[in-house]
Amino acid sequence: MPNLPPKKEIFLTGLWKDNPVLRQILGICSTLAVTNLMVNTLVMDAGLIFTVCMSSLTVSLLRKVTPVRIRMMVQTLIIASYVIIVDIMIMAYLPDISEALGPYVALIITNCIIMGRCEAFARNNPPVASFIDGLGMSLGYSLVLIAIAFIREPLGFGTLLGIRVLPEGFVQWTVMIMAPGAFFTLGIMVWILKYFRPQPQTGEEKG
Amino acid sequence: MKKQVLSVVYMFLITLFFASLVSAVKLMNDDRIERNQSIKLQRIILQVLQIPTGEQMAQEDLSRLFNDRIKEIDVDDRTFYIGYEEDGKTIQGYALPVGGPGFWGPIQGMVGVDPQATQVLGIAFYKHSETPGLGGRITETWFSDQFKNLPLHPIEGDRNIFYLRPAGTGKAANELDAITGATNTSSAVEFFLNKELDHFLKELWASIEETH
Amino acid sequence: MDSINPLTLFFAAIFTNNILLTNFLGLCPFLSMSRQKKSALGMGAAVVFVMASTTALNNLVFYKILVPLGMEHFRFIVFIVVIAAFVQLVEMAVERFFPALYFVLGIFLPLITVNCAIFGASLFMVIRKYDFVQSLAYGAGSGIGWMLAIIAISAIREKLQKTAKLPRGLEGPAITLIITGLLALAFLAFSGMIRVQ
Repeated sequence: MPNLPPKKEIFLTGLWKDNPVLRQILGICSTLAVTNLMVNTLVMDAGLIFTVCMSSLTVSLLRKVTPVRIRMMVQTLIIASYVIIVDIMIMAYLPDISEALGPYVALIITNCIIMGRCEAFARNNPPVASFIDGLGMSLGYSLVLIAIAFIREPLGFGTLLGIRVLPEGFVQWTVMIMAPGAFFTLGIMVWILKYFRPQPQTGEEKG
Repeated sequence: MKKQVLSVVYMFLITLFFASLVSAVKLMNDDRIERNQSIKLQRIILQVLQIPTGEQMAQEDLSRLFNDRIKEIDVDDRTFYIGYEEDGKTIQGYALPVGGPGFWGPIQGMVGVDPQATQVLGIAFYKHSETPGLGGRITETWFSDQFKNLPLHPIEGDRNIFYLRPAGTGKAANELDAITGATNTSSAVEFFLNKELDHFLKELWASIEETH
Repeated sequence: MDSINPLTLFFAAIFTNNILLTNFLGLCPFLSMSRQKKSALGMGAAVVFVMASTTALNNLVFYKILVPLGMEHFRFIVFIVVIAAFVQLVEMAVERFFPALYFVLGIFLPLITVNCAIFGASLFMVIRKYDFVQSLAYGAGSGIGWMLAIIAISAIREKLQKTAKLPRGLEGPAITLIITGLLALAFLAFSGMIRVQ
């Protein structure tokens, strides 16, 4: 068992250094889809945090008994089950938001972040560390989404969480609510991060 | 061979475990989900009939209000709702379910009309699969409020009862604002809602008037 | 949904409701495979085939098996298993009967299972209550739409690689996202083209 980095470092790596959205470029689909409204973003974030943490925890707990050949199917089963649970809970307790989110809650299942963490971390590491890794990654994801929604909703609707934040006379940038606005916002964020902290590339850049 | 058998057994057991877990959660919440749906429908019906439901009415109060003031009738295999005034005898209006293909999927709504079917009292869309933030905005108050007091007959010379125009450009009383950025959903709604209202006026209204 | 003509659905899925440019599905493989036209084409073709087949297949599974048994809430798991199993079968068949094809296409197949667009197409099919023919049209159209987007982006990226020197930080995912945004903007122009009725 190679040396495990301290819990704090695992957490912070997921949060920032190896941010799943901005660095690893994972989980993009839902990032772009729900960030036109802050409230949808927050619900999605909550759903993802729950699913990633529980999935990583469960996969880690089962890591010694799961046959290697079928581990991906098992991971998919575990992830899908937690997502269904989240979906049922939202339908039961937040019915209006459930209507608005549509199929995007179900799409958490194919969110590459969850499977990515199970494969890269949870199946080789102890439960608590895996849970923390999941927590860091999902919070990193959430922060990026909140930042994007923070730009898209005001510019596109003039509101934030439904509350008017820009003056009435402000002409809405409707493109921000739609697909292109999402692509641009995320692209620019990735650019800014890469500009200030370029990743070491093999042979192309010096460290 | 042994490894494969072990894998299959493991897969079976773990599937069983998680399937049970999911089913358990579902069973625990089924009632709640169903109740949410029926309360939602009741609220919508009261809303389009302009029967005040108050900001945070409790579910039991809402149901009681519904049972007091609304009567269901079936006409031509559709369910209509008659809304009564507080005296329980005078008709306040009728609520009719409407539906049609949206851009992404079926849209369901409820239209409230006055007792003589001359104008719209209110409208609400309660089920759809349109894009959140765009077509999905048909559920927002500003959109449905436009339909209040809409005359239920086409204006002289017009084909439609109402039109959805680009926001801010409508001039006549029957030209309402479409949703900016949701052209497809807007035209789908314009199409099926006009068709439904027309059908109601021409075919269903006579049957409803007859039943009481 | 009995009113929408499958052919209309087919064209709408390619242009006005492109599953990638309007619904943001299938982005991860999109971003990684769009560097070269060749890989884009290979991935695209595989996606079209799998998406059309699994959407139609899942339609049957959902309405003929899950609904009668009252097990609709298990559709997430079932759909994914169907997709994974289908891809596995296709991979085995191609490897056995068309080895030449396998060399070209084979590596893309495992990647397809985690392509959220394929799963998403089945989910949308259920929400919108498509029948079998509509599902087939929608699946095929969405696949072609996805392929169209990825080929277009890959052509642009290859050209960029040769001719432009990008400002620091833009290379790779950043510029791809921005270009995709521009492509999405361009595709918006199609929205007047198709009247649903």
